[in-house]
Amino acid sequence: MLKQYVQTNQKVFQLILKSAKFGLNVFNMSVNYIKIIAIIIVSSTIGFIYNALNPKGIPLIKEERILVFEEEQAEITDPDLNNTPVTEKNAIEEQIIAPSEVNIIKEEIPDAVREFTKPVAIRLSRAYQLYNQGVIFIDSRSKEEYADGHIKGAINIPFYESEKYEDILNKIDKNEIIITYCSGKDCDTSILHGDELFEKGYKRIYIFHGGWDDWLEAGYPVDSKH
Amino acid sequence: MKKLLSNSYLLFFFRILLGFLFIYAGAEKISDPAGFSTSISNYKLLPIYTVNFFAITMPWIEIVAGILLVFGIAVKENAFIINVMLIVFIVAISISLARGLSIDCGCFGKGNQIGIQKLIENTLMFFAGVLLILYDSKILALKVNHSE
Repeated sequence: MLKQYVQTNQKVFQLILKSAKFGLNVFNMSVNYIKIIAIIIVSSTIGFIYNALNPKGIPLIKEERILVFEEEQAEITDPDLNNTPVTEKNAIEEQIIAPSEVNIIKEEIPDAVREFTKPVAIRLSRAYQLYNQGVIFIDSRSKEEYADGHIKGAINIPFYESEKYEDILNKIDKNEIIITYCSGKDCDTSILHGDELFEKGYKRIYIFHGGWDDWLEAGYPVDSKH
Repeated sequence: MKKLLSNSYLLFFFRILLGFLFIYAGAEKISDPAGFSTSISNYKLLPIYTVNFFAITMPWIEIVAGILLVFGIAVKENAFIINVMLIVFIVAISISLARGLSIDCGCFGKGNQIGIQKLIENTLMFFAGVLLILYDSKILALKVNHSE
């Protein structure tokens, strides 16, 4: 019994020894580490120089993409909103330029649908509220995931091949309220897609944080195979 | 087996393939630095303030290593650099898959989702790299004067 154990283990030991030797060979394989370091330093330097000269260059320290939720944003922007009409200068200027136009705009657009400075994140309850108002839902997931089941009436524009869906996108008016969503809280395509649409000029983008998982769990209307 | 794997034409093929793949991958990333930076941060593996450092340097290391491979300069060293990167990619993708993230791979610019396919691709490239490190490839190599 013990013999057998030793024998089988010997084979394993031999195998380990062999692979260790192979590994050592790999590390001993006359790779010139100085050259490696030189190549890395030179290319990194080129990278930094190129980035500094490139108009599309990025800052050396990244700013985090923080999802701003509607509730939080309201807290931040509300004081501003209250302040702007009060400043007399603005009010007077507006009246001089085009009083009638200003009035119309003020009447038509309620506070809730003011222009966004970037896509706004929302949670399930708000998404459902907007759903009932008939806004457009864009499903950023793949064709297959969409086919398996999606929010009722949602349009499928897979983020990874969004170029192919330009026709569908172009039918949507840039002033429409659009909600992007993906599989759940751990996916990023809804955020990336939201940012992409926003850059294209769609001004009212909501990102539904929670996406398909939350929607399904809540038992809200879906289109599904099953 | 060893004879087959150390066949100089096979090694030459691997060298050119790996070289061009990395040139292409690097170029795609350089064309959209902000996108690549987002891709890295989506892996949620690096502290946010280090992300752009890698986003700026990595594509250029890929391109330079790729070009040098194609020209046959310091093949072993460049294959080594590429393999280290491939190990990092394989580990990062595996972790993300295990965490159930469905994110952009950032491998060749936008349009690649991480998945088993990416792992297999990277592993195959890794093996090609190992062969190059072990056996070198001198066909059609640009001769550089070595002082050593």
